[in-house]
Amino acid sequence: MELNKIDKKVEEIKNNDNIYSVGKVIKVNPYTVIVSGLNDITYYEEVDIADKAKGFVFAVGKNSVTISIVEITEKINPGDLVYSLKKQFKCLFSMDSMGKVIDIFGNDLIADKKFDNLVEVPIENDPLPLMDRDLVTREFLTGITGIDMLYPIGRGQRQLIIGDKKTGKTQIALDAIVNQKDKNMVCIYVAIGKTKKEVKDIYYELAKRGAASYTIIIASFHDELPNRTYLTPYVALSIAEEMMLDAYDVLVVIDDLKKHADVYRQISLASKKTPGRDAYPSDIFYAHSKLLEKGCQHKNGGSITILPIIETKSSDITDYISTNIISICDGQLVLSSKNFAKGEKPALNYGLSVSRLGGNVQDKEMKKLGSLVRNELLEYLDVRDVYELANIDEMSPELQKRMKDGKIILDKLRQYKFAPKSKEEMLSLYRFLEVGENDGSR
Amino acid sequence: MMEVGKIITISDISIEIILSNTDVKIGDILEVQNDHKYVFEIIEVNNISATCVSLYTTRGLQKGSIVIKVSDGLEIEYSDKILGRVFNSYGTIIDGLPFESEHKVKVNNDTVSLKEVKVENDPLWTGIKVIDFFAPLQKGFKMGLLGGAGVGKTVLIKELIHNIYSSSNSNAVFVGAGERSREGKELYEDMKSSNLLDKMVMVFGQMGDNPVSRSKSVATGLRMAEYLRDEKKQDVLIFIDNIYRFIQAKAEIATDLKELLIENGYPANMANEVSQIEERINSNNNGSITSFQAIYIPADDLTDDAVQTVMSYMDGQIVLDRKIAELGLYPAINVFKSTSKLIDAEKIGERHYNLVEKVLACLTRYEELEEIIAVLGIEELSEEDKNIFYRSRKLRNYFSQPMFVAESYTNIKGEFVDIKDVLDDVENILKGKYDTVDESKFRYIGKYNG
Repeated sequence: MELNKIDKKVEEIKNNDNIYSVGKVIKVNPYTVIVSGLNDITYYEEVDIADKAKGFVFAVGKNSVTISIVEITEKINPGDLVYSLKKQFKCLFSMDSMGKVIDIFGNDLIADKKFDNLVEVPIENDPLPLMDRDLVTREFLTGITGIDMLYPIGRGQRQLIIGDKKTGKTQIALDAIVNQKDKNMVCIYVAIGKTKKEVKDIYYELAKRGAASYTIIIASFHDELPNRTYLTPYVALSIAEEMMLDAYDVLVVIDDLKKHADVYRQISLASKKTPGRDAYPSDIFYAHSKLLEKGCQHKNGGSITILPIIETKSSDITDYISTNIISICDGQLVLSSKNFAKGEKPALNYGLSVSRLGGNVQDKEMKKLGSLVRNELLEYLDVRDVYELANIDEMSPELQKRMKDGKIILDKLRQYKFAPKSKEEMLSLYRFLEVGENDGSR
Repeated sequence: MMEVGKIITISDISIEIILSNTDVKIGDILEVQNDHKYVFEIIEVNNISATCVSLYTTRGLQKGSIVIKVSDGLEIEYSDKILGRVFNSYGTIIDGLPFESEHKVKVNNDTVSLKEVKVENDPLWTGIKVIDFFAPLQKGFKMGLLGGAGVGKTVLIKELIHNIYSSSNSNAVFVGAGERSREGKELYEDMKSSNLLDKMVMVFGQMGDNPVSRSKSVATGLRMAEYLRDEKKQDVLIFIDNIYRFIQAKAEIATDLKELLIENGYPANMANEVSQIEERINSNNNGSITSFQAIYIPADDLTDDAVQTVMSYMDGQIVLDRKIAELGLYPAINVFKSTSKLIDAEKIGERHYNLVEKVLACLTRYEELEEIIAVLGIEELSEEDKNIFYRSRKLRNYFSQPMFVAESYTNIKGEFVDIKDVLDDVENILKGKYDTVDESKFRYIGKYNG
């Protein structure tokens, strides 16, 4: 009886011509459904579940198909009909999103309405061919002395910001965004699993500082379906990729990837994937590597710079997810809660922070003075601990000078939030080191 | 072009086919003819169905699609035409320049048999002080390069390519397995601008690629190294960055195939998979293959099963240490953990061996002294301990080195240092000849010039 109905329905839909493949829900999980039928479905095809929900094909089995749900308006019942929409699952984006807080389905979240002029965005494109990449050499300035001079970032670089809760990770990203004013950079801030309050604060903060005109905030909250949260950074990067291919320079901040990893773990465990280390699935590395590999300097001139953020616990940057991301990125800015408490802001741990591109992305002057400052500072931090208790008068003059200069260098790195410095200002802070260098007194 | 069946299941990296023709075997390459590129390799077959891994993405692939057989295995170029070129994991040219094939062979090959394996060989100097002193190499050695993320592994690999390669006539193979595409492109440009490219081959299956590509890049690169060894009778260098990614990719495939996994999600046949690769990287009577294999350590956990499995094949190891990197001393090599089978008085000579022992003893005492000083201050130390303390700091600084490929970070020109100079300098520091020289004079230098 029921089967006849479906046959009839199929016939109907076939005649209708745009939707003709139909299945039936046989099992409903919190965010996936198992469907029978749909025998000519394609992988990652978009489906409609009885006008109640929308999803895409996540796995094709012998007798059933698993659908990941991304939008749901009404409870799904076993037996509900599932229509394949004969197209690959895509997300929506509007070019009017600048200065707005949006989701990946074309909604303006602050105005609480859909945009009018939407275009489809693939959730993920093929990896960019190796030879389409160009060297990362152009500077990306954050306005923060400790970064631009010591651990510089280039356009097309992936630089991780990592540290405990309340160490100023998001602040560094916001500083970087604000500093892009008049620098021809499109900024995309991707908020993953942040609270609604936090996102609204960030929105106001950026608007207040005139950064809204070139910034898009893409948000996904924990009260949404995990599949949406999981997809959000990929879609953000697809949007960025299209802009890059149009030769734009794009900055993408992903805040934060640890929460993204946890959402992916949740989805994987729910789909009965065998867990690996710390119960994350074996492909957690790939989930992030394919995402962050979208960051690049394209040969056509466009670029995607990515600043992913990771929150750590008790300053441990050697846990599984952190080391994964560190091994993908082109460097990391490590923030220390100890420095933060001491009032050394930005609370960078200068010993642990790294930029793998280093001087390659700095201009000549910044590179020269920057490497001098970095070396002096690291030597100072090294000897500071050893000689802390020694009497300064008994030290060699060289050591005395090193201790004195080191302290000055460190003090000058302090910088208040939203107080960007120009390169000239940064250079002038440390000219005193060059004087010593040139007159041969060192 | 033979039709073999229809697709009945699809997941991220694998598919299953109901066979209409059972004349297929493991390793066969199948295709779905479509605008998109869908290519598969059979990894399991029975009399009604076959399981395959997908070489590219499976997104957009339709259930019920007809699958045809296109060849009976992946093939790669096996001629001098490979030199100076860049391939992907499946042996396809990706440098965008015209290419004409001369001779192709299957990627898969046998391991070197016990009878053929050659173990005796000449030493191989790298010109990097800390390596030549603590972990010297011999042709045919397998050196593990261990290091957590971001402590300078890739820079060291580039420096090794630069140093060893520019002083020998042998060709080299670089395999990028699951590492950064940016670095791949940079290495390519570096090699091109330093005129080394036409003497080497590059194979890339980078971290943005699917796990099938990442795992196959190693075997593909190896086949090319075998060409250089067996057909051109060379002492070949092969750099694998990063062998851990090979196992990681295998683990991803095993998970997708719903195999039962061992702890931390590794495949149960890991030892065999690694052996199939490592036992091919050997020297025989035709020539030697010296390999440097970067080994990523997940979660900084040296006891990780995959790391341990690979390590058991190594003749030595170079361990990069975050603590030393924190001091700004590069290459950030931990001298206590870095060693090779050559550190043996019979093989390397009494003098070198004794110096290594002395230096290690000195540095061990230094670490103890550091703790004492933190509490009591330097002045409380005995004269002897003070000497050890200051000399150790000089030694520590001395083993940092300006590297050719790191010029842009350090702003100092790279240097190749002869082992004889290293032994002399170390001996002099230990004897106290330089006690009056400030320790900073030993930072980032080649040999000490007074």
